[in-house]
Amino acid sequence: MLYIHLTACISPQSSFPEASLDHLQRSADNKLRVIEPLYEGLPQQALRRMAKVVRIGAGAALPLIRQAGASCLPIDGIIIGTGNAGMEQSIQFVQQIVDHAEGILSPGDFVQSTPNIVGSQISALTKNKKYNITHVHGGLAFENALLDAAMQVMEHPTHTYLLGGVDEIGTYNYNIDFLEGWYKKEALSNHQLYERGTPGSLVGEGAAMFLVNQQEQGALAGIRGVATLHADDPAPVAERLGWFLDNHLAEGEQIELFLSGENGDSRLSPFYEACEEILAAELPIARFKHMSGEYPTASAFALWLASIWPGGADLPGHMLKRGALPLPGGETSEPGIKMGRNVLIYNTYKGMQHSFMLLSRSFH
Amino acid sequence: MDTVQLKQQLKQQIIEFLNLTSIKPEDIRDDQPLFGEDEGLGLDSIDSLELIVLLNREYGIVIRDPKEGRKVLVDINTMIDYIVKNRTK
Repeated sequence: MLYIHLTACISPQSSFPEASLDHLQRSADNKLRVIEPLYEGLPQQALRRMAKVVRIGAGAALPLIRQAGASCLPIDGIIIGTGNAGMEQSIQFVQQIVDHAEGILSPGDFVQSTPNIVGSQISALTKNKKYNITHVHGGLAFENALLDAAMQVMEHPTHTYLLGGVDEIGTYNYNIDFLEGWYKKEALSNHQLYERGTPGSLVGEGAAMFLVNQQEQGALAGIRGVATLHADDPAPVAERLGWFLDNHLAEGEQIELFLSGENGDSRLSPFYEACEEILAAELPIARFKHMSGEYPTASAFALWLASIWPGGADLPGHMLKRGALPLPGGETSEPGIKMGRNVLIYNTYKGMQHSFMLLSRSFH
Repeated sequence: MDTVQLKQQLKQQIIEFLNLTSIKPEDIRDDQPLFGEDEGLGLDSIDSLELIVLLNREYGIVIRDPKEGRKVLVDINTMIDYIVKNRTK
């Protein structure tokens, strides 16, 4: 099992450096942009050249690495998942080539434009020359990074890895995805995300980082299983979920919360409904895309959320789909619904890439 | 444009090209070293490439010899001297 010991997240919500999630931060112009901190730990010299995706990735990662260093816990590798990473800078670099007729080009955009820029910047800033890899499998990029980390600790049981999922809202990608219908055409605030029943979602961005290893003692949570699949039909997704639970839950053991990646896109609802149908009818269901927005590595936000939520704290009303009475405004905590110990996260990206993660949370 | 105006323009261009958002043109002395953490602006090797691009795009100057670049990219005064002598636009 892969255990999460430290985690940090820079997101559109008040998540960094401390999480305060009872109050839902609102979207603007159909976008959920991250709340960027002051980045006190990042050198100004490096910061001025960084793209947003690098700022938020390194900004979330460095406190974890420093904390690990203070505890004499060496980082044996950096494993990042990203759908697009430096795509915005790639486009700017290509545009330079056009604008300046293939003449002398500014190196800044080129240096920042590769998919592995986040992992390499973290490596450069921390002088970590160990295993460093970036997974770029679209909506399964974070899950593949997680699988990589799980395999690494199987081979090296004493190692600790920095695992992360990071993506930014890029103008070019947003426009392409908007034209493909993946984002709402009508003006919509995130507190209404699940109410419309229309195609499309709200775009989001974020960086969630985790320190993971195989040591159970002192862990926030353990990741008991991860499964991914490609499918455009809900039936095989639900079938895989049944198989996933049979293989990862002990006899008589129950899931206590279903954390759903539902994103308000009516075309994707059948996938989530198919999964809900094979789970216990009374199982509480919570959602997170109204907090994070939709992006390829949004499942990393869900994992962060499930890892840090205090054991005794009620979930805020705005997260709950099932298990609470509806309240006007959706911002009041419903008494009684907690994250529980065993949390199932299901997410789909564009109705083609699907993932399940099963998490067992600690209560200390 | 006289030399004073040219220096002001160059400082503004350096700030924009290098994204030195916390610095104003008046914060850069004419004889302040561009490179070096202590007294200088703290620029680095990637910045030097950016400055060569700046000279090319804004003044039509091509620096091909690294040795020549090291003499030009010392401070605002040396850059201005070179621009005045070699600019093509």
